[in-house]
Amino acid sequence: MSSPKGAKAAASKSPVSKSPASKSPASKAKAAPRAAAKPAPAAKKAAARKAPSRAKAGDGDPTPAQKAAFLKALAGGVKPNSAALRKLEEKKGGAFAPSPPAPQRKVEVLRRIPAPAPRLETPETKDALRIAALIESGLARGELDKVQPHAQQALAAALCRLYAANHEMGERYPILTAQGAPVTATDVMVMCGALLKAVDLQVFELGMWQSWSSG
Amino acid sequence: MAEQFVGKASEFKDGERQIIRIGEDEIGVFRHAGAFYAYSNFCLHQGGPACEGLTIARVIEPLREDKTSMGLHFHESDMNFVCPWHGYEYDMKTGEHVADRRIKLRKYDVVQKGDEVYVLA
Repeated sequence: MSSPKGAKAAASKSPVSKSPASKSPASKAKAAPRAAAKPAPAAKKAAARKAPSRAKAGDGDPTPAQKAAFLKALAGGVKPNSAALRKLEEKKGGAFAPSPPAPQRKVEVLRRIPAPAPRLETPETKDALRIAALIESGLARGELDKVQPHAQQALAAALCRLYAANHEMGERYPILTAQGAPVTATDVMVMCGALLKAVDLQVFELGMWQSWSSG
Repeated sequence: MAEQFVGKASEFKDGERQIIRIGEDEIGVFRHAGAFYAYSNFCLHQGGPACEGLTIARVIEPLREDKTSMGLHFHESDMNFVCPWHGYEYDMKTGEHVADRRIKLRKYDVVQKGDEVYVLA
């Protein structure tokens, strides 16, 4: 709440209260020609305050975003083969000549990686695959005695020697693939144990051989 | 984007790859199952030569009805390529990392005009 004294002081400080327009009607009439000839200081100040805001809000003035876009376009220059360039050339009085196409970037072949070697389907391979499929189908039906033990021994021995001979020649490939019927860890341990026992080897000796050789 | 001549399709055997450089970009161009694919040769993991490692079929693990595993198998058609540095594996058709599909190599369009193969780069 402001006191009447405070209000009076505020009124005396205000520049509006000092202006001729705030005086009585009689004095107002006297002051009118003077006011018309010379603008009041308060009106001057108000006009100065209003000026910048009028410049901002004016219809013809570009917005900051428009200014930024204009500067960006200016920095980018006139694009080749554009309508702007055509107009520019016409204004200059010269004929429009399209600029040459951008030079092709050089393609350099660094490496050529050949396709993996295709699998050869020799007649022996086909026969071996046929036998493997026969054994697998018998297993699926639960027919465990269709391939007699002496045939299994022959197959195991031949496969063991074939794999070892390839290994010796540097042909390294996994003996089992992820494809086909899965072989369990138990299957592997049973078979490896049987193979070691067949040639009278201990697991310790296998470990020694593996640590001494590259096998 | 300009068409950059890579080579002739007749000289590009199926399963073959070419590592090319166009400006500062190093690109691996694959031919797989008759189609061409081109990806950035910079692995998204640590910048290794992503397109120069093994090409290997996608490994799948089918499940039985009781949700037990039928073992690991190779997918019949989906092929991946593996970065030789740390084994980041990418899908040949999309360039996406097989374990996290959000990770994706930069893919370049390949255009074949007659016998000529172009990469848009």
